[in-house]
Amino acid sequence: MGDNPQDVSILDRFKNGEKAAFEELVLKYQNRIYNLCRHMLGNAHEAEDAAQDTFIKAYQNLNNFRPEASFYTWLYRIAVNTCLDYKKKPFWESLFAKSEGGPSVYEPASDWPSPETLYQSKQIGLAVHNSIRKLPPRLRTAIILNEIEGLSYAEIADILEISIGTVKSRISRAKEELKKLLKEFMEQR
Amino acid sequence: MKCSKAHKLISPYIDSELPESEMNALEGHIKDCFKCRKELEEGRELQNLLSMADIHKAPYGFNTRVMANLSPEKADKSSRFAVLAGLAEATAVIMVIAFGILSGSLVIKGAQPDRATDVIASLSLDVFDSAPPGSLGGVYLAMTEVRNEK
Repeated sequence: MGDNPQDVSILDRFKNGEKAAFEELVLKYQNRIYNLCRHMLGNAHEAEDAAQDTFIKAYQNLNNFRPEASFYTWLYRIAVNTCLDYKKKPFWESLFAKSEGGPSVYEPASDWPSPETLYQSKQIGLAVHNSIRKLPPRLRTAIILNEIEGLSYAEIADILEISIGTVKSRISRAKEELKKLLKEFMEQR
Repeated sequence: MKCSKAHKLISPYIDSELPESEMNALEGHIKDCFKCRKELEEGRELQNLLSMADIHKAPYGFNTRVMANLSPEKADKSSRFAVLAGLAEATAVIMVIAFGILSGSLVIKGAQPDRATDVIASLSLDVFDSAPPGSLGGVYLAMTEVRNEK
């Protein structure tokens, strides 16, 4: 990803009073932001709430957005901070959180693999998800942005407002932890 | 290059984040170092596993719900309402639990007989039978019948 001229054009329309242009940004980024929140928080309901909050905060602060910055980096920063704030919610809010309706649904690729392969992939996917959830928030955020969202170290540094050296160190530490947590699956392969 | 230096470079090497000079130096070291080569293989294996993580798409109608909640006043109200609703729910649950504990303790206290006779009475099934002639109830009934006849 990089600075996107399409985003700039949509933002210009929004600043010129076309408020509905914002929906184009929602449609463009909703899957990435939801996926990030889902991996950060684990729970589908909380992830949807956090993703919605992200877009609402972005809408409310869009006039303060600096045009020289890239929109998606700014949006990701809001999403990360929103998810980290969700983890700090008071205990009683978690008492009323709706329970997950079973494990997440695996969406297979268009060329259908065998049931065994599908099952194994599903197991690995869940193990990866659970292992990432066990990481401390700083390491979890860095590895999700890098490995799941596919962002570069420079983009992650920009989103988290830290140096590239710190990003490198957090990703290395996260990988060391994940190697231990996923040892069983690494030995199988 | 020392193994400790190579160790630090392996992760960014896998992520294609190394400048060319460091990349060449690491590749040179890995050719001759079994330990670091093994670490690189493990790192790639981990990357393969991580690439199998589920990709979640936003639920159906997500954008519609976002757009419906975009008014600043509504968003502010909804967040305040969520906090108040949460507090109300928490209070209600605490009250229900407290009421349950209180009523439970009253029932237990009420069920505890004060005297031994009450225990016998509470265990008796006489209430379901007609009073036998030799029982206290039978004597009482006989006395009331005599009084009525007079």
